[in-house]
Amino acid sequence: MALLPDLPKGGFVFENFQRNEFLKAKGFRAPKATKTGTTIVGCLVKDGVILGADTRATSGSVIADKYSDKIHYMAKNIYCCGAGTAADTLYVTRMVSSNLELHRLNTNRVVPVICALRMLKQHLFRYQGYVSAALVLAGVDEDGAHLYSVTPHGSSDKLPFTTMGSGSLAAMAVFETRWKPNMTIEEGKKLVRDSVAAGIFNDLGSGNNIDMCIITRDGVDYMRPYEEANLKGQRLNSYVFDKGATPILTVHTIPLEVEEVMVRHMDETMDTSA
Amino acid sequence: MSIMNYNGGVVIAMKGKDCVAIATDTRLGVRSLTLTTDFPKVFQMGPTLFLGLPGLATDTMTVYQRLRFRLNMYELRENKRVRPQVFTSMVSNLLYERRFGPYFVEPVVAGLDKDGTPYIASMDLIGSYQEPEDICVAGTCSEQAYGMAEALWEKDMDADKLFEAISQSLMNACDRDAISGQGAIVHIVEKNKITTKTLKMRMD
Amino acid sequence: MEGLIGIAFKDFAILAADRMSAFSIITIKSDENKLYKLSDSLMMAVCGEPGDTKQFAEFIEKNIQLYKMRNGFELTPRSAATFIQRNMADYLRSRSPYTCNILLAGHDRETGAELYFIDYLATLTKLPFGIHGYGSFFGTSVLDRYYRYDMSEEEGTKLVLKCIAEVQKRLVVNLPVFQVAIVKKGEIKTLPDVKMTPIEVN
Repeated sequence: MALLPDLPKGGFVFENFQRNEFLKAKGFRAPKATKTGTTIVGCLVKDGVILGADTRATSGSVIADKYSDKIHYMAKNIYCCGAGTAADTLYVTRMVSSNLELHRLNTNRVVPVICALRMLKQHLFRYQGYVSAALVLAGVDEDGAHLYSVTPHGSSDKLPFTTMGSGSLAAMAVFETRWKPNMTIEEGKKLVRDSVAAGIFNDLGSGNNIDMCIITRDGVDYMRPYEEANLKGQRLNSYVFDKGATPILTVHTIPLEVEEVMVRHMDETMDTSA
Repeated sequence: MSIMNYNGGVVIAMKGKDCVAIATDTRLGVRSLTLTTDFPKVFQMGPTLFLGLPGLATDTMTVYQRLRFRLNMYELRENKRVRPQVFTSMVSNLLYERRFGPYFVEPVVAGLDKDGTPYIASMDLIGSYQEPEDICVAGTCSEQAYGMAEALWEKDMDADKLFEAISQSLMNACDRDAISGQGAIVHIVEKNKITTKTLKMRMD
Repeated sequence: MEGLIGIAFKDFAILAADRMSAFSIITIKSDENKLYKLSDSLMMAVCGEPGDTKQFAEFIEKNIQLYKMRNGFELTPRSAATFIQRNMADYLRSRSPYTCNILLAGHDRETGAELYFIDYLATLTKLPFGIHGYGSFFGTSVLDRYYRYDMSEEEGTKLVLKCIAEVQKRLVVNLPVFQVAIVKKGEIKTLPDVKMTPIEVN
């Protein structure tokens, strides 16, 4: 046993795996991780590409987060919607995002969307679907706007419009009836909004707000929220308890006093060469 | 039965106006048998930073020890206190590293930022976190606690009101859970002081 | 199927452990030792998987003694408990985990007598009294009713006997012999074994 364990070197750690299997064999169910549930959509329009997502995250039937952020930043010109296990979508996009930035600094050019796609699918394929992230990747680069969907096993499709997550069927129905080539951004926004709304209202795993992200050659318009699909009712009464309502046994107060203020000026900018 | 229900316990955190509160029950049991009523699941990680770790008790301890180590190393290397947001990242990273062999804990972080901005966050067992504007709940009676906290929380409560809201949420949630309760501790963090109160609760 | 009882009072603690060693449904022997003396005022009771308990307990015992030789002072009960917990937690994550349940009783110069409870998952907690095994369902009720922090040694011993009597009376498992020890400041006193009155044959 090391007295001072080393800091982790990267990669997954499996030290608890055997113990957890042993506990599972004793009849203890493994707990549920947070899922995104999710309706995520993407749609190519004439001058760019639009991503849309709901904001509900669930853990079993409990809503774990009402305002979860499912449109992840990848690069200045690339964003990615995530569905599946919430932690996986977060970390897979965050990791690829870091690598894209390194790639941009190394190559000194705008990173192409396929580059992000290749990094994502290679990671997902390596983990054989156990990293459960279903993604809708969109971005604009030198070759124009691109939209891809990526499955948890690492396969991908290049599409003019796509949907993912538990609400994907409802959302796809809207796209299949109303999508047409070369839509304006305004038409696209309306279609994406309606398709996410279809997911929110017809799929129980999706809900709350609609987030939207429009990527064009001129830049990114990230609207969070784009629309609050259904507002919470206004509470008419206040349920605040009077001071002293809760019986207390002991009170212990620690004052926080400022003993010294020290200001360090960071004059030099970070060295990013080589 | 889920392994999360082996030892029992619950943690709630709430945001107020220039203050945050974090509350924990103090029971430790082995399924239906209570071992002790002196096992808080909330730890102080900085002058204005608290961490709640409800779940499997052995992992509560191990995760706390590992985080304490990482936090100490951070503070020695960087020569500064950790910000609550950064600490959440630290916890999340520790948990996601063990994506395929997780610790059975659902952490809750509560604290004030350097400029006194309230901050709360909660996580699932593999590190997916949310940073809500109102309440965070985790543990065996989280569903009851969600209901209570959602009803009692209001925007911009002062420290006294926040204490009543969080205490009543915890006590009433625990009253509908056989394996949580039997004592509770509430920490209220304000810019100039931390108040720790133990609650008088049902002991059945 | 085994039973360990521990109670901490103001300046002494009592440990009791059954003496049974079982294999499948057979009692192999009834004079097994499950109490380990770690220092002059520190004692540990261990039960669990037969091979693991002895191996782990002796490992802990020798390491705590080594610590004293190296440093010239002993681990406090609290530090010893943390040492045991950390070792168990680390072994739990290795290829050869130990399955043992432990009660650690000791006397601290500053805080008095203490009792620590550690289970096979490496859960550690400080308690006034704790019981490992099925006996806990009967014993804890007795202790909840009769335990007082300021009991005398005589009263404390009686209380342990009460627990043992309850376990032997109500638990279906046969635990006929218990060993008992009192941990005080700088002294560990072993009491005579507590035996169930056997039914006379012929």
